[in-house]
Amino acid sequence: MSAREEILGKIHAQSEINHPGDFKGASEDFDFNASLEVVGARVLTAEELEIQFPERRRYEKILDGLSLAEVEVLEIDGEFGVAENGAIWLTEEALPHRVAPFICQHLVINVSKIVPNMHAAYAELNKPNSSFGLFLAGPSKTADIEQSLVIGAHGARSLTVVIRA
Amino acid sequence: MISHAEASEKFIADAERTDWHDETLWFVREKRDKASKVLPEWEALREHASQIKDHTLANLGSYLQAFEAKAQANGIKVHWAKDAAEHNEIVHQIIADQGAKILVKSKSMLTEECHLNDYLANKGIEVVDTDLGERIVQFRNEAPSHIVLPAIHLKKEDVGETFHQHLGTPKGNKDPQFLTEAARQHLRGHFLASEVAITGVNFAIAETGEFVVCTNEGNADMGAHLAQVHIACMGIEKIIPKREDLAVFLRLLARSASGQLITTYSSHFHKPREGQEMHIVLLDNGRTRQLADPKYKNSLKCIRCAACFNTCPVYRRSGGHSYHQPVAGPIGSILAPNIDKKANADLPFASTLCGSCSNVCPVKINIHEQLWFWRQDLMAAGLAPVGKTIGMKLMALTLAHPAIYRIGGSLLRRFAPLLNSRLNPWYKQREMPETPKESFQEWYKKR
Repeated sequence: MSAREEILGKIHAQSEINHPGDFKGASEDFDFNASLEVVGARVLTAEELEIQFPERRRYEKILDGLSLAEVEVLEIDGEFGVAENGAIWLTEEALPHRVAPFICQHLVINVSKIVPNMHAAYAELNKPNSSFGLFLAGPSKTADIEQSLVIGAHGARSLTVVIRA
Repeated sequence: MISHAEASEKFIADAERTDWHDETLWFVREKRDKASKVLPEWEALREHASQIKDHTLANLGSYLQAFEAKAQANGIKVHWAKDAAEHNEIVHQIIADQGAKILVKSKSMLTEECHLNDYLANKGIEVVDTDLGERIVQFRNEAPSHIVLPAIHLKKEDVGETFHQHLGTPKGNKDPQFLTEAARQHLRGHFLASEVAITGVNFAIAETGEFVVCTNEGNADMGAHLAQVHIACMGIEKIIPKREDLAVFLRLLARSASGQLITTYSSHFHKPREGQEMHIVLLDNGRTRQLADPKYKNSLKCIRCAACFNTCPVYRRSGGHSYHQPVAGPIGSILAPNIDKKANADLPFASTLCGSCSNVCPVKINIHEQLWFWRQDLMAAGLAPVGKTIGMKLMALTLAHPAIYRIGGSLLRRFAPLLNSRLNPWYKQREMPETPKESFQEWYKKR
């Protein structure tokens, strides 16, 4: 007998317990900018961005993620931001490569739409699925040494968000 | 094997470090409190998450099959392993087919449970753990002492010395920023060179066949997106029914774990990237046995946030290694006896049964009650320590017979030093009160 059959054979359907359905009554009063600050991201206007990162680049779709290893500042578009936690939804379709937001040294994300909370976020995602997508909240970080927060573990060392109308 | 109590005794020998460990983890618990109290719906979220998990466990077989079918349709190869040995063989075969000799792995308690690193090392394959805390303990040949903060038992001086030995950082440099940068450079080399990446799985969604991996460092993604082959290892209990359910779990997970609003990266792997091979290994290893036991099955609801570790007065003052299991703390103490009752008979006793673990659990597992159930089972199975067994029997006898109670009481009052000796473990590190000359009954009769 295969492991699959053996495992499934040991699991017996149990008394009916219903799925509770979608969560109701979630708070909606959140400030996206305040959350971005909490997760360590910085908000700039389009004008400030030009001064801060004149050298930033957008990249065409590529198959070789390794070729992005030397990228200093990468600019990409997020699909929407989540006010409750400062996360931004990114999809593979809008990235040069899946590894792009991780491998670059500094990341700039444009956001033009904001939803209040994670429930609204997944309602938004109820469209055809991307083959890869992620919520990204702030720059890469770790506190594995004595709980001291260090920004820039393996992914981007900084995140700049530009909210465009 | 050395028991939790014996290992704890060594841990607390360094009082200063014990205090630091205690206070640091309590600080994490307080961050969790702050993050959760911001949401008026927090308790409703916990209840909702608990109900989703109850529903899923009651229908686990059909959800696993639905997940498998969707994942396969998405181009992911799905493997089933009934135990750790099968799991390791499957993973090894995939690596061998690729011909890789070294690979990167992000945090996965399940691979710790299977002792995958040692197994692969014996086959001549080197595993590079890429989570900073895990890399630190790997250099030191230690196990992680906490499932979210693997190196929380170490001080920055220890990490500085370890990196000096293994990465050639200057001796005496203990600056977390500097040491993290050294690890970043060191591990980036491995990310860029690795053909195979192993990750854990936080949630697998039956409806879509995708899986979600959460990290703060970005190490799971750096590995998985650059490697030719991505192997994701998960226990069968990680399934949730729908994508929308993630909203509930992602809101709870990071807030419970570290007081963050959400982990920095919550990656949804739906299909392999073009030209990439993606595998999922589904592991049982005793989970179906746990599922069949009404007393213990809901321990499978755990989402591995470690809130119960951080709040536990015993964990905070005994350290993760005392639990001699990859998952320590209160939740580990109710999971481990299911896998090996005899070897883990000490763990359900490593608790005060204060119930704080159950109070903070984001999926409302009745952890302290299960600790108590395990104690009863272990006593009945004759697996409790001899001293405890004799003590319990004596106490039961005494409390059931008033005559013995009275005689015992008067004897103990006369031979008070018995109470204040090594025969009484409670006496360790405690001052016993002065013994009264007479009992309440004796005093009352005289009035």
